[in-house]
Amino acid sequence: MLKKLILIISVAGVFLSGFSLTEARAQRGSAGQDEVAPQPVADPFEPFNQAMLSFNLKLDEYVLHPVASGYAAVLPLGARQGVGRFFYNINTAPRLGNKLLQMKLGGAGREFSRFVINTTIGGLGFFDVADSWFGLEASHADFGQTLAQYGISPGPYLVLPFFGPSTVRDAVGFSVDGAMQPMNYLLPTYPEIIAARGGWVMGSAVNFRSLNPELFENVDRFSVDLYGAVQDGYLQQRERIIQDAIAGE
Amino acid sequence: MKLPRLPFLLTLGGLALFFLPIRGLTTDSPLEAVRSTTNQVVLVLRAPENQGPHLREKRIKQVSEIVRPLFDRREVARRTLGVYWRDRTEEQREEFITIFTELVEKSYGETFDKQAEKYLDQVEFLYDQETIDGKFAEVSTRIFVPSQKKYFSIDYRLHQVDEQWLIYDVVVENISMVRNFRTQFYRIIGKSSYEELVRKLQAKLIQMSTTPSAS
Repeated sequence: MLKKLILIISVAGVFLSGFSLTEARAQRGSAGQDEVAPQPVADPFEPFNQAMLSFNLKLDEYVLHPVASGYAAVLPLGARQGVGRFFYNINTAPRLGNKLLQMKLGGAGREFSRFVINTTIGGLGFFDVADSWFGLEASHADFGQTLAQYGISPGPYLVLPFFGPSTVRDAVGFSVDGAMQPMNYLLPTYPEIIAARGGWVMGSAVNFRSLNPELFENVDRFSVDLYGAVQDGYLQQRERIIQDAIAGE
Repeated sequence: MKLPRLPFLLTLGGLALFFLPIRGLTTDSPLEAVRSTTNQVVLVLRAPENQGPHLREKRIKQVSEIVRPLFDRREVARRTLGVYWRDRTEEQREEFITIFTELVEKSYGETFDKQAEKYLDQVEFLYDQETIDGKFAEVSTRIFVPSQKKYFSIDYRLHQVDEQWLIYDVVVENISMVRNFRTQFYRIIGKSSYEELVRKLQAKLIQMSTTPSAS
């Protein structure tokens, strides 16, 4: 529904602005642009990025995937999906904050309503009753999007250890999103608490990986230049997420 | 921040790129063409006489035959090579089309069949809309996975050649497969040469012949 709305808005915008569809499509890299060299990606950190890509793949191969496989063997799929929804619900604050910063008041209202509903009758977020009963679908918002909306360009491509592909802008956004997490301030900073929070992050990652067992399967098979494939895949998806965020509500 | 299931998306893209495109009948709209060819492919994959891992090669061959004559491989190759296409002799272009096509078919064929074996009965194909602009068209479709309540978008980009609609790009979850390959090829050519790209493609082909797909 949201995608349709975005599409309708985009199409309406195209007509209102007097652009032809060809021009609109050329702008987002479709038919008209295909013979042209893609915009060169700023990549001054390539040696570091290459190293981080290798590190992340090894980390996944030797740690995350085996742990997630063991975890998946003892916890049924439905329960793991519930855990995933729980982590998603607990991370409402950054999404809500960014919707507000992006002046998407409708979206902010939905995030707030979803949090209240799912935290109470949704059993701390294990069940997404806000969607299934009230039709309030999950959405996405992050500070990288917010920066993009205010005209900040992505900057160089950057691969983060543990967290994967990003750009300088999105990495800054990622840090700010972390800072928007209320638990950072509500919980005391005892070593035990910090360790528990580290475990929490790992738990979230393990759960996510268990729900996506084929994440890196055949990763080499489908690319001739793995670094380029990952870089471009990330950047294309990110461009679209940002376009949708600007057009959406 | 996380890269959402890139290999899975590339799998989807590959299978869409080479195994679920259009039936190039002039009377079909692009959307109807996509829908009818998808249906034909699904029929082949579901046929009782085609079941079992020992019939994998037969299934892949049948699906390829439905699709191959109707897919604009030259256009895909031209677009993936981008500005470097112009500098190639006709002989080099033909060689590139052959190698690239074989590479994509080999890399995706077996994986596609294995994925279809696992998921085909669990998904629904949705055909949302088509946008036609002169000789170009875009068909927006989605695959719905009811068990996960998830949608995956697959958009087909087509152009009209001699009254036939032919696919030249597939965009899976907002990743254009042509652009993705082009980025890889530009990096390789930019750092070394076109000849090195061809060498890498050939090496990849040999590697894939000896390594079965993991899923």
